[in-house]
Amino acid sequence: MAVVAIDGLSKQYGGAGDFAVRDVTLTVADGEFVVLLGPSGCGKSTVLRMIAGLEPISAGSIAIDGRVVNQVPAKDRDIAMVFQSYALYPHMTVYNNLAFGLRRRGVARAEIDQRVRRVADMLGLGSYIERRPHALSGGQRQRVALGRAIVRAPKVFLFDEPLSNLDAALRVSTRNELIRQQHALATTTIYVTHDQVEAMTMGDRICIMNQGRMVQIGAPLEVYHAPADTFVARFLGNPPMNLLRARLTSAAEPTLELDGTPFTLTGWSASALAPFVDQPIILGIRPEDLYETPDEVAEGPPRLLDVAVEAVELLGAETLLLLGLTGERQELIARVGRRTDLRPGATTRIALDAGALHLFDPATGKAISRPGAEPHKRES
Amino acid sequence: MGLWLTYLRRTPLLIFLLGYTVLTGGPFVWVASMSLRTTAEIFADPYALPTRPHWGKFAEAWMGSNYSTYFRNSTIVVASAVALVTVIGAMTAHCLARYQFRTRRLLRFVILAGLVLPPQMLILSLFQIMLDYHLYDTLPGLALVYVATQLAMTVYLLEGFFAQIPQDLFDAARMDGYSDFEIFWRITLPIGVPAIFTTVVLNFVTLWNEFLYAVVLMTDDDERTLPLGIMHFMGSHQLDVGMLATGLMIAIIPIVLIYALFSETMIRGMSAGAIR
Repeated sequence: MAVVAIDGLSKQYGGAGDFAVRDVTLTVADGEFVVLLGPSGCGKSTVLRMIAGLEPISAGSIAIDGRVVNQVPAKDRDIAMVFQSYALYPHMTVYNNLAFGLRRRGVARAEIDQRVRRVADMLGLGSYIERRPHALSGGQRQRVALGRAIVRAPKVFLFDEPLSNLDAALRVSTRNELIRQQHALATTTIYVTHDQVEAMTMGDRICIMNQGRMVQIGAPLEVYHAPADTFVARFLGNPPMNLLRARLTSAAEPTLELDGTPFTLTGWSASALAPFVDQPIILGIRPEDLYETPDEVAEGPPRLLDVAVEAVELLGAETLLLLGLTGERQELIARVGRRTDLRPGATTRIALDAGALHLFDPATGKAISRPGAEPHKRES
Repeated sequence: MGLWLTYLRRTPLLIFLLGYTVLTGGPFVWVASMSLRTTAEIFADPYALPTRPHWGKFAEAWMGSNYSTYFRNSTIVVASAVALVTVIGAMTAHCLARYQFRTRRLLRFVILAGLVLPPQMLILSLFQIMLDYHLYDTLPGLALVYVATQLAMTVYLLEGFFAQIPQDLFDAARMDGYSDFEIFWRITLPIGVPAIFTTVVLNFVTLWNEFLYAVVLMTDDDERTLPLGIMHFMGSHQLDVGMLATGLMIAIIPIVLIYALFSETMIRGMSAGAIR
């Protein structure tokens, strides 16, 4: 049980040159599950390794329960980590892998035995306890790695992409298992992944990183519905959010022009939009906020857009349409029902949910905030 | 038909292996058979098999010709040198494979340079050093020289193997609370056993047969190692071929035993990458 407070954390390899991590500030509450999400090389694993004490800190501080641990060696931080490769000791049995950390900490032999067996039973490893890692399946190894962290009952759990070596089916079941264990133990957890599904389903909050910096932090749906910039907008969601070049024609009665069609916007204040009048602007809309027919749009009058169908991906449960604007050369993807009759080559008029539009500053990529927007109001 | 073709394809390989076996095994069998025959019998017919094996020759060589002393000296020097070079080599290899420090590349270069320097080049200066430190003509002195000569090869082999052990294992052990030395002791060493075995066997065989350093640095008959003892046989007994063969067999037996017992482990170590 612990609060992890990270303040202005930075990492420069070799003490100079580019920052691998720059100015990350984040407080993880007691028992909270925070996911660090980002593309490979964004610095998320480096942050985790700095928290673990495996990597020296270039600047900033990390505090656990109010005690700054910058200079505290890994072994004295009372943190357990699950590695992507599992990092099981190949020359030890499952039992010894689980007991290894406890032995070093001077736990009595009888208590070690009791704790190891309890954790092994909890994770369904009871009958494999005398096996070595090479005689276990991928999923079993993963559970041993998890057990090794749990058995120590540390203040903080760190996970470094623990599911990425598992096949798809096993990944889903292990993910649920992990969520269950974390809820049961209520241990503060920091979890690194590049998989947005893991991030959305597991975290109390997700923290999105890009190029060493923290871009946005918030509850999964909050981040999904109100991305802070175009990077987050494209990174979360599959297929990603459509980003279209448009032009703001009026701020007083907010209107923009997309592909020759005027759109009135709802929710944005004139003052927020004023700097962008007669300027290009980026319009973002998620594939699921595009509809085949206007009646499907739940709220407000729909906006209609002339498009040509370029490709159709029938996925069974749903259909993805790759659409081209009829005027300008811009593409967008729409997620529609499985019963669509649209085929490549057809032209149609697609409906947009005006309440689900996002605007971004083309210069900085930052979202232009809509004060009245309530991200949780919509169901998804 | 297909089976015949398979055999036909294998024929050249079989011929090659057969030739190789005869070439390497032949002299060994010859010496083995001579070791059980008297010199007179050998001169009468050099290639004949022993009709009435003289097992007593082994006891004679052992007792009568100081062989027990040579054997004891070799065992002391080689065993202590191998033990020492394994410990030092493994620690060095672990550090070179695992830690980034300023002089790492230089250090590795200096150590591995030992692989390319011919012993003949070093032997004069080594002779002088041994004299200066009163190590000349002593068993510990020779053992130390052996440690120095085998260190480069040992570090080279072990570093290659240790570097393949995933870094995550060491990080995990650090998180589990272990110190750097404990990690070496409890992670690197047990996982590196096949590679360590390989270096132990290679070093043992090389040093057991070592002649050049021994002949320069050892003169007292009571301090001689086996290879010197065998040479001694040639001089003092006016080429007693029969006894020479018996002496050779005594010297060879430990090596044959080591190969027989550990060749599997050694091959596993040499074709490393055994970590899963």
